[in-house]
Amino acid sequence: MLSHAEWTALLLSVRVGLLSVVVEAPFALGVAWLLARRRFLGKTALDALVHLPLVLPPVVTGYLLLILLGRRGLIGGFLYHHFGLSVAFTWKAAVLASAAMGFPLMVRAIRLAIELIDRRLEEAAQTLGAAPSQVFVRVVLPLAAPGVLTGFVLAFARSLGEFGATLTFAGNIEGQSRTLPVAIYTFLQLPSGDAAAERLVILSVVLSLGALAASELLARAVKRRLGGDGRA
Amino acid sequence: MLELEVGLRRGGFTLDVTASLEGPATALFGPSGAGKSTLLGVVAGLVRPGRGRVVLDGEVLDDAGRGVHVPTHRRRVGVVFQDGRLFPHLSAGENLRFPERFVPPARRRFQAEEVVRWLALEPLLKRSVRSLSGGEAQRVALGRALLASPRLLLMDEPLSALDKGLRGEILPLLHGALQASGLPVVYVSHDLAEALQISREMLLLKGGRIAGRGPFLDLLEIPEALDLFRDQGLLNVVAARVAGHRAEDAVTLIEPLTGGSGGVSFKSALSPGHPAGREIRVALRPEDVALALAPVAGTSIQNQVPGTIRRVVQGERRTLVVIDAGLTLLADVTRQSEHELDLRAGRPVWCLFKAQALRILDAAASGPADGTNS
Repeated sequence: MLSHAEWTALLLSVRVGLLSVVVEAPFALGVAWLLARRRFLGKTALDALVHLPLVLPPVVTGYLLLILLGRRGLIGGFLYHHFGLSVAFTWKAAVLASAAMGFPLMVRAIRLAIELIDRRLEEAAQTLGAAPSQVFVRVVLPLAAPGVLTGFVLAFARSLGEFGATLTFAGNIEGQSRTLPVAIYTFLQLPSGDAAAERLVILSVVLSLGALAASELLARAVKRRLGGDGRA
Repeated sequence: MLELEVGLRRGGFTLDVTASLEGPATALFGPSGAGKSTLLGVVAGLVRPGRGRVVLDGEVLDDAGRGVHVPTHRRRVGVVFQDGRLFPHLSAGENLRFPERFVPPARRRFQAEEVVRWLALEPLLKRSVRSLSGGEAQRVALGRALLASPRLLLMDEPLSALDKGLRGEILPLLHGALQASGLPVVYVSHDLAEALQISREMLLLKGGRIAGRGPFLDLLEIPEALDLFRDQGLLNVVAARVAGHRAEDAVTLIEPLTGGSGGVSFKSALSPGHPAGREIRVALRPEDVALALAPVAGTSIQNQVPGTIRRVVQGERRTLVVIDAGLTLLADVTRQSEHELDLRAGRPVWCLFKAQALRILDAAASGPADGTNS
């Protein structure tokens, strides 16, 4: 069926996708809450910054990441000299590239969900003794759950399709950064790679459809729990 | 004790209130737009006053001058909102127990079991919030507020979203739970009968200012307060007991609790839903009370109660007469009657009202919400 190289690409894609969601989720939740519920100086700037990866060419995003996190980069240099940590051109870079690209999608979905929550419920929770962090965990998060899940799935799907930023920042290294799209591109460059590329294309389609179907099922389950008339 | 000295400006509206509230219950009464909800918001910490102080039991909750603002979740001030605000992702029972985790066991004032009993919540606990009726939701909301173990409970027109019949059904339950809890309460209402059932101690708010405060009957002396009450419809509300029924005459005998030894009893239209011995409240509109200098013979008017005029309050066109008949009754008469009968303080009079004019406010034990004529 699949060759070793194809399996590696598939598993790497799934792993990078899941990890990138895990890495960006806490930040996305925080930023989405800030944008939805707080007024502060520089809010517009933060909003623009978050959306930047959505409008920039992915290669540019990858290049900016490289400048920041490369071995001679602002943050990357610091990490390398003090901890011997090298991010660029490893699987970690692939995860970060995916996370950066999926971030605006995740923030948008979560922010929208939080904005739809009746603020007066949060006030009620406060009068019952819940501190702001407890209000977030006990009221906001459960009520925003459908939007949060949508955000996760969108970011995961975005990661499966990530190409430009990954190639620029993480390179094309088998087992490290050669995810499905990168692998497809690589096979297409080879004289005999058409068959392998086709198999990976089919895999990509199946994987993406699977992610969408899973999100739909999850969203329905959550909605039933939140809005249904039956028991949870 | 709650001490308020707050000012707040919001668009064209100005709130300016100085008051100290003591005692078990205060009814905050006023027309809509008077600033009642805003004032509650200030006490709960949801609205930050522009100036002034809020002090509860000696603890400064707000001091705008010194930049003090205790956040809502640390105030221990419970709120029952007009719209309930139950959490839709939790069942009724989970809503009820929501605040428990925020209250350390040593500071808990009530057991969930007793709150469930007071408010008859047992059959609701497993239900989803969306399946609750308005009255059921407000019972859960009150129970939830109690289980947060507050020092003070604010109720912001908790029954205004319910229809009148349901209100009569749920109010005694709320009242009973409040009394059982022993918590001080500020109860907002723009319905005089409802407010009077919770407390005769009133704070009147109008246009963001206090128009009067004190016992209901004393407030009648203040022209502005009287106008306010008149707008909302003045009412005699009397605590009483059902003495018995006379089915053959289709009347129910009602004995006022504050009647002293006089042994006055009223007749109302037959209301078999209220068993003898049950304590109820009855309402009587002042304009349904006629005055006479002597008992009237040969009349269909079933109730004739002797009393003495305590004072006469002259309004713009009408005159309000406060009568001590063992209990206090208000009668609304024309200026002409006042002159013809020479009504003045100290004069003995008879208060006349029809059985049909008495309205039992509390719910019947069973059957429809309100068995009386309403």
